Amino acid sequence: MSATALSPATAHYREAFERLRPQLGGTASRRVAAMERFAELGFPGAREEAWKYTSLRRLESRRFVPAAPATTPVDVPAAFVAQRLALVNGSPVGVVPASLGGFALGTLDTAPEDQLLRALGGGGTERFAALNAALSIGPLLLSTTAGQQSDDVLQLTLVTTGTGPTLASPRIAVRMAAGSRARLLIDHVDDGAHEHFTNAVLDIELAAGAHLTLYRLQRQGERAFHIERMEVRVGEHATFVMRDSQLGAALARLDTNVSLDGRAAATEITGVFLADGSRHLDSHIHVGHRAIETTSLQDYRGIAANKGRGVYNGKAIVHEGAQKSNARQVNRNLLLTSGAEIDTKPDLEIYADDVQCSHGTTTGQLDPNALFYLRSRGLSEPEARSALTRAFAGAVLARVDEPALARHVHDELDRRLVRLLEVTA
Amino acid sequence: MLSIRDLHAQIGVRKILKGVNLEVKPGEVHAIMGPNGSGKSTLASVLAGRAGYDVTKGTAHYLGDDLLALEPEERARRGVFLAFQYPVEIPGVNNAYLLKAALNAVRKRRGLPELDAFEFLALIKGKMKLMQMDESFLSRGVNEGFSGGEKKRNEILQMAVLEPRLALLDETDSGLDIDALRVVATGVNSLRSPERAIVMVTHYQRLLDYIEPDFVHVLSDGRILRTGDKSLALELEKRGYDWVKQEASAA
Repeated sequence: MSATALSPATAHYREAFERLRPQLGGTASRRVAAMERFAELGFPGAREEAWKYTSLRRLESRRFVPAAPATTPVDVPAAFVAQRLALVNGSPVGVVPASLGGFALGTLDTAPEDQLLRALGGGGTERFAALNAALSIGPLLLSTTAGQQSDDVLQLTLVTTGTGPTLASPRIAVRMAAGSRARLLIDHVDDGAHEHFTNAVLDIELAAGAHLTLYRLQRQGERAFHIERMEVRVGEHATFVMRDSQLGAALARLDTNVSLDGRAAATEITGVFLADGSRHLDSHIHVGHRAIETTSLQDYRGIAANKGRGVYNGKAIVHEGAQKSNARQVNRNLLLTSGAEIDTKPDLEIYADDVQCSHGTTTGQLDPNALFYLRSRGLSEPEARSALTRAFAGAVLARVDEPALARHVHDELDRRLVRLLEVTA
Repeated sequence: MLSIRDLHAQIGVRKILKGVNLEVKPGEVHAIMGPNGSGKSTLASVLAGRAGYDVTKGTAHYLGDDLLALEPEERARRGVFLAFQYPVEIPGVNNAYLLKAALNAVRKRRGLPELDAFEFLALIKGKMKLMQMDESFLSRGVNEGFSGGEKKRNEILQMAVLEPRLALLDETDSGLDIDALRVVATGVNSLRSPERAIVMVTHYQRLLDYIEPDFVHVLSDGRILRTGDKSLALELEKRGYDWVKQEASAA
């Protein structure tokens, strides 16, 4: 594609990339190829199926400045766990420890570039994964050694910050060696001072028998843009677990692609999202069953209120030959006030005959009988609505087995529910 | 305590209550009996403030205030309690939370300090013993997976904890076996006091063997057709409801 055909936004990022290149590190050709791929794909058009319910017009109209390597630490919220590393606009500040929280840590100086910056093709977010590969200033490799067992949690707080609207491109690669076990918490925050754009990539591989639990907390302020591509390959008898809490950002899109590659590979992806105010939160989950006896569970609960909008697009494909697989999808949504909207699309494609698959989705309002019951016992209407909403989310949040994080999510949910229910009561 | 005058209520265009009059004084126990569809449960629902009913005429005063103008939670806080015919299952909201929130809402209205967790537990344990309920139930979801009898016992437990001034029991005996009925009746009787009034809505006389009423009213087609003492209930048991209707229409 010639440069003249680029949209103004795409051209902006390419120019910014040229200016930033000397500071980026890594092989220029890989970065350039990624940038070209982004330029080729550009921003999604209104007709693109993968972006049917999420318009990026607002995002495209902004000219975020891609972040340069951070040199000074910034304030970050208190950690939930003992082992924490903060990344500022994607890059570590100062010396990265060799190991932390059950992982060995590598950077472009110490880890193979093809692991850190590899291309992630396909899907609606390929363009953004490419943009990330071009601009990511501090890609980080987390790895375990075979058989290594850790009960620690490594918290990575990814801060997006800047003196003007900033594009941060954090990129984390995780390589779980055979039979290893670890836990990781990815915590997305921003300074709230400007509209920032976080364009994140997680590239995860689990070798045979490995087990990774990933806690995800999205809690940027009400002006943030967030796009994230998560690519997960799960080997034989390995298990990938994600506990997702989407509480923040103005406009967010998360693509979670999980490929169950080995026999008896398993994944469990559960989460809640709270689209209040005028937030737009979009989750696309794609699970590919590519081997026999693979199992997957997707269970998301969405809450929307005011002008908030939620999008859930969950897909499971059971490929030919993936016999005795089990794929379950559940998506329940709650519309707390009029004006809110949730678009949900559970999707199953099955090309094997000996499988168990199910999907169910509901979108509704709080049960008026339950509301009356609680009020008839003296609870105010906001209290009753808040209790029922917490119960709704609680069914999924109960799976967040890291107490400080779970408490935070519950408290934040409470705080926001009290605010929005008292206003609308 | 409760004064109902010429109360008319309907759901949509369907008229259900067609001029109910009822006076209830502190310390009294009233039974409202009547055939299915006579408006018994509607009366209880309207008094508790359930949405969906239009009161088209008449008044209901509670302790001198216009009861129908109050939100359901305000009625509860002022001491009106409805034991539901069909208690609602609410998974994820546990019984302990509900009992504590309800009790503290009532106490706050009465100008009493909120109970802390320790005081609350001490109080609740005694009441649970009375209702023959296991403590494990406190951490369960409200009515979640309860049997019919457990749900009704739970209603009376809530009532025992909240100590209402006016208790409305809507078909509390329905679906209970004889043992469960005894437990429920024991709970209700333990709450009889000179300051408290109880209005029981029931289809069968059976409940009245265990909770003896001072007054029995026959509600039929939205009106109270006859009022008597407990012997009226026995007569209804023997003769059915038709003779009351006939006598009323003849009058």
